[in-house]
Amino acid sequence: MAVKDFTLDIKDGEFIILVGPSGCGKTTTLRSIAGLEEVTGGEIYIGDRLVNDVPPKDRDIAMVFQNYALYPHMDVYRNMSFGLRLRKTPKDKINEIVRRTAKMMGIGELLSRKPKELSGGQRQRVALGRAIVRDPKVFLFDEPLSNLDAKLRIAMRAELLDLHRRLKTTTIYVTHDQLEAMTMGDRIVVMKDAVIQQVDAPQQVYDHPLNEYVAGFIGSPAMNFLPCRIARKNGNFYASSESFNLKIPPDNAKSLADYVGKSVILGIRPEHITIRSQAGKYDPEMAFKGSVWVTEPLGSEKIVYVKNGQNTIVTRLDPRVEVRVGETAEFVARMALSHIFDEETEKTVY
Amino acid sequence: MRRVMFWIAVVIVLCAFILPIAWVYVTSLKSPEDIFRPEKLAFLPTLYNYKYIVTVRPSLLEFRNALIITLASTALVMGVSLPAAYSFARFNTGGGHLLFITISTRMFPPVVAAIPFFFLFRDWGLLDTHLGLILLYIYFNMSFATFLLYGFFREIPEELEHAAMVDGYGRLSIFRKVIFPLIKPGAAITTVFCLVWAWNEFLFAFLFTRRVARTVAVGLAVFWGSIEIQWGPMAALMGLAILPTLAAAWFMQRFIIRGLTFGAVKG
Repeated sequence: MAVKDFTLDIKDGEFIILVGPSGCGKTTTLRSIAGLEEVTGGEIYIGDRLVNDVPPKDRDIAMVFQNYALYPHMDVYRNMSFGLRLRKTPKDKINEIVRRTAKMMGIGELLSRKPKELSGGQRQRVALGRAIVRDPKVFLFDEPLSNLDAKLRIAMRAELLDLHRRLKTTTIYVTHDQLEAMTMGDRIVVMKDAVIQQVDAPQQVYDHPLNEYVAGFIGSPAMNFLPCRIARKNGNFYASSESFNLKIPPDNAKSLADYVGKSVILGIRPEHITIRSQAGKYDPEMAFKGSVWVTEPLGSEKIVYVKNGQNTIVTRLDPRVEVRVGETAEFVARMALSHIFDEETEKTVY
Repeated sequence: MRRVMFWIAVVIVLCAFILPIAWVYVTSLKSPEDIFRPEKLAFLPTLYNYKYIVTVRPSLLEFRNALIITLASTALVMGVSLPAAYSFARFNTGGGHLLFITISTRMFPPVVAAIPFFFLFRDWGLLDTHLGLILLYIYFNMSFATFLLYGFFREIPEELEHAAMVDGYGRLSIFRKVIFPLIKPGAAITTVFCLVWAWNEFLFAFLFTRRVARTVAVGLAVFWGSIEIQWGPMAALMGLAILPTLAAAWFMQRFIIRGLTFGAVKG
């Protein structure tokens, strides 16, 4: 995987997330920072130091690997102290650091165990502990939670955040899970095909995606993409197709003048569509009709798939809304929160 | 019923393996008159045959030769094969072709190599020398050992090395502190295989040695003369010659299980 044109300035103490589908180059980027991958062009700085030709051992980084990469023949204590022992740290100092960190990570009782005697979550903690004792300039995490089961993953997510708040060490974290990216990062870097798509705070990425790809990648269920045409009537702009005709609020429409009559993609998130009975006061020009195809009650919400002409539109409704499969109903889109994407360049128009 | 069948099968297999060995030891303890009277189950054990191979026909030299050649060739093979296999496994050195060429020396019948080697060794004065046989055994064992070790190295996840690099270690100390401890069972098995093979090797030892460097395996065949076969002393020498290999087999069974399930201990 060759990563091109990757320019990113990471602030001291920042928690940066590289997110993207598998094979998008995020791990390659991380490994380049670690020095495990050869960099053929460009420069990597840690602090003020150019590290392109610095071997991994001298970069003062710590990395947590997806499969933990604990040394199978060493017990937990030796695993954690392996890096320190090389640095000629005095024995009692090592002992103190390792024991303190192990206690903090909740693995104080496991110091004499071998990795194969540990559960997945415990191994994860040891791997983290091994990184923490080194007190490095940068933490690199390569999908550290992806081998854990769902419940543990959520618990560890919170612990990692808490850890970062306490240690304030600059962290670069790779994941393919957009939920992890949204919940953990100060800033997230969305990558696709070895190219950065967008770098911004999670909420910004969610609210203002730069292109269709980012819009679809962040958010779950994913944003609806509806092919349509921009029409102009009575000074207002409309996203219009055979099966819907939705008014675009004037505030959003400023950049649309060039697109009148052209094919575009309307993007609207499932949570920004409600059923008419829930909509309260609404603009009838921002509503469309559809027949309920599938409903997925999740307890806290209800995901409803609606057939509208050729489109299947996903909506996220209040769980108490009664909808019957096959029923035709009217749905209201919060068009102020929608997006228009250029059909050719896939860039966001607004 | 199934259990009965199971034990019958076990007994048959055990007999097939143990009876020949038992025959060797029983025969070695028989006096020449008793050897050809198998119907006589009870006999007076004697150490006559063992005395014979020590005093009448000294065979200890052959033991020493075999020991020198076996140990030296195995040590050199491991010295080269360990780094070679590591390099093949980790850096894909030679893009797979080099590894294939290495293994391909094992694919033709070894005797094919005997004639060219014989002329070469004759010209270089290596016939009937320890060095000659050591070189030959290196040639034959190296490919095998490299291939076996290659498999073991492949089982070690690359991330372990990366973790050690990030932890601050250089390539050499990583090999010493992380890789080698993990490869130990595999290296032990490979070493034992090389030792046993070199110890037992007959064809080349027979063709390339006369007197000075003759090994035990060849020495055994010498009892097979044109006038008579000296079964008793031959059995005695056999009994001694298989002791090291039996020890190796015993040693190996502890490791071979671990070696074969090596992949299960991933970090």
